[in-house]
Amino acid sequence: MSAAIDMGIFAETVFAIAEEVFTAMIDPEPGALQPALEPTELSEDATWAWVDVHGEHPGRVMLGTDHDTAMLLTRALLAVPEDEAVSEADFVDAVGEIANVVGGNIKALVPDPGPLTLPQVAPVPPGDGATLLHRAQLVWRGHPLVITLWSLS
Amino acid sequence: MRALVIDDSRTMRRIVVAALRSLGFETVEAQHGREALDVLESGEEVDLACIDWNMPVMTGYDFVVATRANPEWRDITLMMVTTESEHGQIVKALAAGAHEYLIKPFTPDAIRDKLQLLGLVEYEETA
Repeated sequence: MSAAIDMGIFAETVFAIAEEVFTAMIDPEPGALQPALEPTELSEDATWAWVDVHGEHPGRVMLGTDHDTAMLLTRALLAVPEDEAVSEADFVDAVGEIANVVGGNIKALVPDPGPLTLPQVAPVPPGDGATLLHRAQLVWRGHPLVITLWSLS
Repeated sequence: MRALVIDDSRTMRRIVVAALRSLGFETVEAQHGREALDVLESGEEVDLACIDWNMPVMTGYDFVVATRANPEWRDITLMMVTTESEHGQIVKALAAGAHEYLIKPFTPDAIRDKLQLLGLVEYEETA
């Protein structure tokens, strides 16, 4: 994927894509999602969601954040009040769908992309030898969130 | 008006259903294209189908092709609602018989605008 994407353009575009997704789906008013001013570190209790792009330049788009932040994202996306429980199925589906929409829009940056896989969600990233191409460090409502692009070639 | 919402993500179905209900639609849901065909084959009458592209069992594109092959379903308006934003994919879906194409992410206003273009929702009168 690295040869297929101008990484300078990706770095500039990934925040714009994420901001559009979060504004449309989660926070109607822009500004909740911001680039991180300092290096972003997640806790050990993290949640990772990713989609893979098949085709000539296979790659992966992955979103990571602390579990509690992922739960806040789920509540915001599904409009679930604080005093109402969120099922594990809803949590996995909501976080996966955010990765799916972010990944689908980033996929459009790749020339002649193949199909997108269904989203995966796990407490640890997949350990399949993928090569990190870019790490976008963000904060959502003050909580750390990272979006990474990987080559699967 | 009755709409069939086809998406493997329950989150996205919930978002699309909420937007459609706010516009006065009744809704029925399916998790993939095959399940949506089962809904139609059961005799359920719908005016609109909102269709994701990437789904297990049967994709949204295959659902469009199957729906257009059955003359009994020719009056159903088909709108793709998907992250597949490449020009080639859009052309492919429209050529197969989809009427409109809405790229995720979208706002409820974007759904309303598309349905107004399709004549399924009336334009609001301005003062």
